[in-house]
Amino acid sequence: MRKESIGSFQLFAMIVLFELGTALVVPIGLESGHAVWVSILVALPGGVLLVLIYDYLYRQFPDLPISGYMRRILGPAVGWPLGLLFVPVLLYNGSRNLREAGDLLISASYDKTPVIIINSIMVIAVMYILYMGIEVFARTAEIYFMITMVMGLVCNFVVIAAGLVKLHNLFPVHPGEWLEALRSAYPNIWIFPYGELVCFATILPHFKSARKVNKVTVAALVLSSFLLSFTHAIEMSVLGADIYSRTTFPMFTTITLVNVANFIQRLDAFVILTLIIGVFFKMSVYCYAAVAIAADLFRIRDLQKLVLPVGVVVLLSSFVSAENYPAHMADGVVFLERILPIPCAVVPILLFAVHRLRLRFKLYR
Amino acid sequence: MPIRKTGSTPDGKKEGGQQPPLSAVLEENLEQIRARLGNSPDLVIRHYKSMIHEVQVAAIYINAITDKNLVDTYIEQAMKFEFPGEGVGIPAAPGDIYSYFKTKAVSIGKLKVIRDLNTLLEALLSGDTVLLVDGIAEALSGMTSGGEGRAVSEAATQVSIRGSKEAFTESLGTNIALVRRRIKSPDLRLETMTLGAITRTDISIMYIKGLAREEAVFNLREKLQHIEADSILESGYIEQLLEENKFSPFPTMYNTERPDSVAGNLLEGRIALLVDGTPFVLILPATFFVFMHTVEDYYQRYDVSTLIRLLRVICLVVSLFGPAIFVAALNFHQEMIPTPLLINLASQREGVPFPTFIEALMMECTFEVIREAGIRLPSPIGQTVSIIGGLVLGQAAVQAGIVSPAMVIVVSLTGICSFTTPAFNMALSIRFLRFGIMFTGAFMGLYGIAIAALMLVAHMCSLRSLGVPYMSPLGPFSPGDQKDLFVRSPLHFMKTRPRLTRSKRGRRQPGAGSS
Repeated sequence: MRKESIGSFQLFAMIVLFELGTALVVPIGLESGHAVWVSILVALPGGVLLVLIYDYLYRQFPDLPISGYMRRILGPAVGWPLGLLFVPVLLYNGSRNLREAGDLLISASYDKTPVIIINSIMVIAVMYILYMGIEVFARTAEIYFMITMVMGLVCNFVVIAAGLVKLHNLFPVHPGEWLEALRSAYPNIWIFPYGELVCFATILPHFKSARKVNKVTVAALVLSSFLLSFTHAIEMSVLGADIYSRTTFPMFTTITLVNVANFIQRLDAFVILTLIIGVFFKMSVYCYAAVAIAADLFRIRDLQKLVLPVGVVVLLSSFVSAENYPAHMADGVVFLERILPIPCAVVPILLFAVHRLRLRFKLYR
Repeated sequence: MPIRKTGSTPDGKKEGGQQPPLSAVLEENLEQIRARLGNSPDLVIRHYKSMIHEVQVAAIYINAITDKNLVDTYIEQAMKFEFPGEGVGIPAAPGDIYSYFKTKAVSIGKLKVIRDLNTLLEALLSGDTVLLVDGIAEALSGMTSGGEGRAVSEAATQVSIRGSKEAFTESLGTNIALVRRRIKSPDLRLETMTLGAITRTDISIMYIKGLAREEAVFNLREKLQHIEADSILESGYIEQLLEENKFSPFPTMYNTERPDSVAGNLLEGRIALLVDGTPFVLILPATFFVFMHTVEDYYQRYDVSTLIRLLRVICLVVSLFGPAIFVAALNFHQEMIPTPLLINLASQREGVPFPTFIEALMMECTFEVIREAGIRLPSPIGQTVSIIGGLVLGQAAVQAGIVSPAMVIVVSLTGICSFTTPAFNMALSIRFLRFGIMFTGAFMGLYGIAIAALMLVAHMCSLRSLGVPYMSPLGPFSPGDQKDLFVRSPLHFMKTRPRLTRSKRGRRQPGAGSS
């Protein structure tokens, strides 16, 4: 079978869509008050550092997904079970995204539709694209990257044109708030959404030009960070810190306020579309990562065989894992603080350190 | 010129051994030919007796598929050895007659010596005239094909305001000439083969050497050779037999009846496939955006063409999603419609007994019926159908309270939008998909439409046409090709050919980039 390969721009588009995914719509970094946009930027250097570590490991083992080089570096006895532990974390995070999308849709206009229908339709789409393979996925991402950029441009332009932006909601940023921004940046924003890029450690083996990997990933990360920061700054300036922290979906609330010349109004559709696209790509990447790791661990050559089980697990856990949305958010806080840093930061840094040490002391046979 | 022939070639070298050879006795040969053709009345056999060697000669051809004048010239020239002394000499022995014919006497094209019956029949059936001489187990065929054919006329399906008015005809030779006349390059290559076990249809692959990718030409040739069909009546047969993804609603080969369109595509490194008997020439590889472009885009000024291209894309989106979004907005997202309009729509729908989806489905189906009826009927009646269907039926349906006026507007708008897609087969696919998307819109609102669109784009990204990704140059993105995608940039800026179809020679205007 021909090895599927993806190009620079495709990887770039996938990373940006993945980063924007849900982070664009749900509030992130609540502790930092109105300085959320600062903390997104403050977390960027840490994010870049993490990505450089993923890239370094990839360049050391260009043909292996993360679970593959985990076994090489730590030895099969430690690496294999550790790799296995990645799978449920990825699946759970995928299902969390699904849950958030489903709840936004239900609160927006599907109050009579059962959540299982909404979620299963999304899962069907995700499974379809995973069946098609990573190449098709990358091409679709390219096209949707452009669509998302156009929609984002229109939305931002309209919000500004409607005169809703009040800069006094953003400035001044007091010294105390800088500290808060820093605190919410590390580890929260550092891990979500930047650290989640660990999923791409399973996609990078398909990347065409290993030389360019640093440039592409860092550029994509910086762009998405700026976009996120800008969007959240706009939301914050329109809503104010108080409303921003209380609404479930600040972007949705922001866009409903738009009214230009009594003609351009009710652009909610754009927000819903952005969310659907973002969640779709984020979930697909998560599911792909889970599939790829599982396939690597259990030596399954045909990835397509794993798509259905992964899809079903994600679908079921999306509405079984939490009773209601507040409980879901509370789970999310714990998950973000206690569990997610391990696969996203701890393990890669550990791998990096052990790999360097083994290289240094020539411990590879 | 490396012409590769396949199938049983007229000189019968390929499968020469197994075929029944010709007999040396003239009468036996004629008897066999008559028997094999079932004593067909259009088979003409003329007998001559040469005076010099006293041998019987027969000229055989089939009436009406041969050019009468050519046949006469051929026979006349062949029998010239009757009158020696005109500087042509006399054949020494009866056995030398053919070589004498070939080298000295006959000026007709494509002379071939045939040794077996099947090849002879094939030559006969494709319009050749065959000479048989008594005492020699060989025959001589000369190309005399002709007969009645349609003259080159104006393009009927792909009309343009500016540009060539010529369109292809049903004759392969004429079609090749029409393209050759536009590209006078020695690099224009032509390969012919015969396909279809019964129809024995001639097919030509045309490409420009150095511009088309060698491996694409090779692949196409391989695929064509593996086609197993007993009949090829139209290029559509080949299109369907070659398709890589059989279950996709999207066409992966472009067809055109305009020679200038073929020439333009050849110059972009694509390959044309001409089939005898149809004016529709296949062009491949064809990506999605090839179907959205017309030749006229390049004849008009770039700014106008760009706007028209954008208009076409918008119309495509409307014709695909229009009714679906309308149904979704009315059923799920009433808040998206401005309140006065919503009140208006609600009051229009007051007396309508059906749900919006059923209403839309009924109107769409009616529209499709009217369209189909309009195509099939002779043109004078066709217009009556559209008047009755469009005006009377639409108006009456509204007044009878079966559909709301807004629905009529939406349906007719999408109908008209679907006609702006230049390629008819693409417009058909879009129209077909519209129903599916309308269903998801009615079932799940905008969310359903968004998911359907995602899956549709994913599906389109998975398609390939002769190895080229269907959505290129958008996915995979190639920045250099954006100049001729949604916009049509000025010709000065179009210095390179499309990346995925071209081979090494990328530049269009040599030297233009150096300044």
